[in-house]
Amino acid sequence: MLDERKLSAARKRTYGIGLLKGMAVTLKHLFKHNTVIEYPDEKQDLGPRTRGVIALKEENCTVCMLCARECPDWCIYIDSHKETLPPKREGGRPRKRNVLDRFAIDYALCMYCGICVEVCPYDALFWSREFEYAEYDIRQLTHEKEKLSDWMATVLPPPALEAGAEQPGQPVAATPAAAAPAPTAVAPAPTAVAPAVQPAGATTPTPAPSMSAPAETTEADKARLPAPPAHPAPRATTDPEAAGRSPEVPTTGQETVLSDQEKAVYQEDPGPNVDVPAEQPQPVALERSEDAEAVYQQVLKEQLDKGSSAQVAEARARVARAKAERGIKRGPTPLTVDKPVPSAPTKGAPRPEPSGAPEAKAPQPDPGPVAAPAEAGAAGSDEAETSAPAAAKEPAAEEPPSAEPVSTPDPQAAAPAVGGSDETPDQVFERVLQEEKAKGSSDAVAQGRAKAARVKAERAQK
Amino acid sequence: MFELNLSDWQILLVKLGLVLAIVPAITLVAGYAEHKVMAHLQHRLGPMYPGGFHGWATLLADGLKFIYKEDIIPAAADRKVFSLAPLAIFVPTVLTVLVLPLDETLVVEELDLGLFYLLAVSSISTIGMLMAGWSSSNKYALIGALRAAAQLIAYELPIVLSAAVAAMLAGTLSLNGIVEAQEWPFVLWPPGIGLIAFLVFFGAGVAELTRPPFDMPVAESEIITGAFTEYSGMRFIFSTFFPEVANMVIISGVATTLFLGGYQPIVPLGFLDAVPGLVWFTLKTAFMVFMLLWIRPTFPRLREDQLQKFAWKFLIPTSLVLILAAGAWVLYAPEGLK
Amino acid sequence: MDVARTEENIRLPDEVAQEVAEGRLQTEQMVLNVGPQHPATHGVFRLLATIDGEVLVDAEPVIGYMHRGYEKLVEARDYRQITNLVSRMDWLSGINNEMPLALAVETLMELEVPPRAQYLRVVLLEMNRILNHLMFFASFAAELGAITPTFYAFREREDIQAAMEMATGGRMHFGYMRPGGLKEDVPKGFFDQALFGVRQVMDRIDDYYNLIIGNEIYKQRTIGVGVLDKELAYNYGVSGPIARGSNIDFDVRKDEPYLAYADFDFEVPVGLNGDCFDRFWVLLHEVYESARIVEQAIEGMPSGPILGKVPRVIQAPEGEVYVRCENPLGELGMYLVSDGDRRPYRLKIRTPSYNNVSVLPVVLRNTFVSDMIAILGSFFFVLGDIDR
Repeated sequence: MLDERKLSAARKRTYGIGLLKGMAVTLKHLFKHNTVIEYPDEKQDLGPRTRGVIALKEENCTVCMLCARECPDWCIYIDSHKETLPPKREGGRPRKRNVLDRFAIDYALCMYCGICVEVCPYDALFWSREFEYAEYDIRQLTHEKEKLSDWMATVLPPPALEAGAEQPGQPVAATPAAAAPAPTAVAPAPTAVAPAVQPAGATTPTPAPSMSAPAETTEADKARLPAPPAHPAPRATTDPEAAGRSPEVPTTGQETVLSDQEKAVYQEDPGPNVDVPAEQPQPVALERSEDAEAVYQQVLKEQLDKGSSAQVAEARARVARAKAERGIKRGPTPLTVDKPVPSAPTKGAPRPEPSGAPEAKAPQPDPGPVAAPAEAGAAGSDEAETSAPAAAKEPAAEEPPSAEPVSTPDPQAAAPAVGGSDETPDQVFERVLQEEKAKGSSDAVAQGRAKAARVKAERAQK
Repeated sequence: MFELNLSDWQILLVKLGLVLAIVPAITLVAGYAEHKVMAHLQHRLGPMYPGGFHGWATLLADGLKFIYKEDIIPAAADRKVFSLAPLAIFVPTVLTVLVLPLDETLVVEELDLGLFYLLAVSSISTIGMLMAGWSSSNKYALIGALRAAAQLIAYELPIVLSAAVAAMLAGTLSLNGIVEAQEWPFVLWPPGIGLIAFLVFFGAGVAELTRPPFDMPVAESEIITGAFTEYSGMRFIFSTFFPEVANMVIISGVATTLFLGGYQPIVPLGFLDAVPGLVWFTLKTAFMVFMLLWIRPTFPRLREDQLQKFAWKFLIPTSLVLILAAGAWVLYAPEGLK
Repeated sequence: MDVARTEENIRLPDEVAQEVAEGRLQTEQMVLNVGPQHPATHGVFRLLATIDGEVLVDAEPVIGYMHRGYEKLVEARDYRQITNLVSRMDWLSGINNEMPLALAVETLMELEVPPRAQYLRVVLLEMNRILNHLMFFASFAAELGAITPTFYAFREREDIQAAMEMATGGRMHFGYMRPGGLKEDVPKGFFDQALFGVRQVMDRIDDYYNLIIGNEIYKQRTIGVGVLDKELAYNYGVSGPIARGSNIDFDVRKDEPYLAYADFDFEVPVGLNGDCFDRFWVLLHEVYESARIVEQAIEGMPSGPILGKVPRVIQAPEGEVYVRCENPLGELGMYLVSDGDRRPYRLKIRTPSYNNVSVLPVVLRNTFVSDMIAILGSFFFVLGDIDR
């Protein structure tokens, strides 16, 4: 191995042996299996975090301008106008609301840093892994909101996190020590998107054992952390070229099988102490009713019939296939399903948002650019309820209560937020209050959150 | 065979036409082989698209592209010399093919002084390189041209001297005669002399081709493409790619003829005679070409002074000693061994 | 075919210089403009070379073609935006550039970084170092005329690149560091992919060795060429693999361990002679050591959060701090002056490449044109890092 090679030895004269060794190396490669991906024909299966293009979920945008302000090269253009809405209740004040007129990203300027996606408090911006949108004319690189919304169909659900990570939906009460700060400001995103993407019945809630207390987790982690060998990963047994790079678009039947195998590993129960992300479908619940390739073809056809451009159609079809492979059933595209619940799951959930920390430093809720998810959630859903073109959004707005308990086994996210089916609002109030106090929130904050939870529960009951 | 009443000059014209058709064809095949072999040595696939099957038509497409390209001549260049230089490089390449015996009778013109002709013609291209470099009015081109001249002259000597070994062993300058003399190829017999002469010839040949590890005249990372920095379009193809690949095949063919027994079977065993001479020649040449292709991606290039040292201090003395040895062999070796 | 006559022609440039000095080889001198567009300068680097035949009499690097004014730019950006900007200084080692910035802010704000974040940072930093070094491995060999290592190195890079992309979403500019930790935790499968990548590199590094370092032609081209002696390296503030090639045993990771580097067992390869050969040898061995660090870090990866207690708006308190990290190319230092705003008052960046190329005129004097290319290649610089 290399570490045994000494510099003095390397500098010695070798009289032609080195030349022959070099020739042996190249000759060896002549007979090796090639790993080239023939790009336009084969495509790499890029991960969900890939910064390909930014997709806009128009309904979620409240024209808060955070993205445009935070953008380091000011390549986001937003226009809006104010609209006056009738009061929500009898005798209330008429309310004003921003309506998005223009949302454009100039990809010729964009430096793909992802700050806009990161700061968006309402989950209106997402990364999509599509990257083939080169143009002959630089002006075409400014994508208006229609095109940005089109990309939405190509957005993949966020990936599950690596072993030992703090999961976004982890019950806070169960892990008091690790409770410190919620992962990041982005954290709400997974919870908001994932359930919506999943079909309601696809997951049976596994009673996520709350054994993931930090101490245990670490120990157990250590026990299993020689992860690579312990994993029955295909790359241990199969050809490293094929298995090692999991991102490979399955084009032939054989490869599909392979990726199946990989998927099994990918979603496999990592060990006895489950800290599987709550929204990750369990393997048992997987129903692979449709063949991925069939899905691909079908969606492609549907899209083309609908009149989508070939590129968009293909992109959508590929996402559908990817989802089918991961066992996510195909439903209506996210664009139409999960409109009105921008952050319903997070709303009122007594999860410590990043602003939990400032309590030490800044007692007042910081009026900074990043609004706390809770407030954001409240505002967002309020707005959704009141301002949405009633007919279209009403049914969807009621969807979460019924869907949520099933699809998110995480009691924390589900129960208080949407009114757990067996709790009265007062009970919810008491419980949230206790939890908040246990967490060390100040009285005022605890009261406020508990009240919010009660209101939410009441509404859900109606 | 068929009978045709053609006068001498008519036959010559037909032959020339054939050569002009075959040389580019062979160049295309060798160029494609270079693309693919090098790609696989480097763990790539090489061209896969043009033509469908493993990109067989890549070079045709490339050629088309180069035809379409603008032919740029720098304002400060010496226009006449600049445009003549590719010819001076390209034509000798074609001329060398005329005397190569592909089979016993398959040779365009059997010359008694074939070897002499071959060596004389092939050294003309040096002048072409100088012309190109000097007329471009570009410093990189100038450096490249001077490097090329120095290198080609330095390596002309070992080539001539080692070829002389073969001629001495065969006792003739006719290429057909040299092949006929190799019942056992010279590489194998006489022991040592032929092999070393072959290696000297091969090493010098690589340098003559200006291919890695001796590609300083066109060293891309140092002096762009040397003498041809200013060339574009078809002129570029006819001064760099075409002669390089064609010469690669030709040098391999010459080495085959001089040392590997040409169209003769590799060892004198009766049943091998059934294989036609052309096949033997092609196989041996292909092997030599593969060696060249194998060396190219494997080695870094030498420095200019090291290259000169290698020629003057190592190859030339070696080949001089070889000539002595060959002379001694011819004069004093017992008759049964020859 | 013995072409390896390694020791005797080392001093040849001096012989030639001697002859020139004595007036025996006097010829007209010519100024050769190497760059700004030249295949061997990896970008818009220009070298005004006065040559006498093939001998370089004088060489003057001209830089600044890529100046983007980062130091001024960052004064109008908040720290998250700066993270993404500095990532683009040295485009081959994006996340390594982000590191000192994050450390500087953390030092000023007295933030505590959770252990998992520290380990993950080490994993990403070292993987990025491998990416960077493999790139220079490829380009140096290509400049010497060996084209194959490029493809082998890029094949290995791709596996590591895939892991980086999985975690950060980017391939070159990661924007993954945040004051106090990381942007988000790595996705499932990252450790497997990372381990696969670095093990692949460790396996194949012997091939590289046989292909390049053991090759006689390579030895002839590099041994004794472009000698940078220790004293000179000190005087010019040369750092990183180049300084270590000149027998300067200095590595910030080892001598002033930041993050969790003290936890890992790794060696700092040091050369003896300061020539191209030693620099390259050090580079290749650093790849190996980095791969070892990645393995150790993933095996000992703690669990927990990846972001410390960080206020939502990062405002470094008033004060100043100088932080240095071991960038793949040398010591990257950032001197951060804050007036308590969300933006830095001043950020002085000391980039490794800038100091490293400043010694070039001295080293290049009296070499051959071919050697000039070898020396430029072995000085492992990135233009964005010089000009920033």
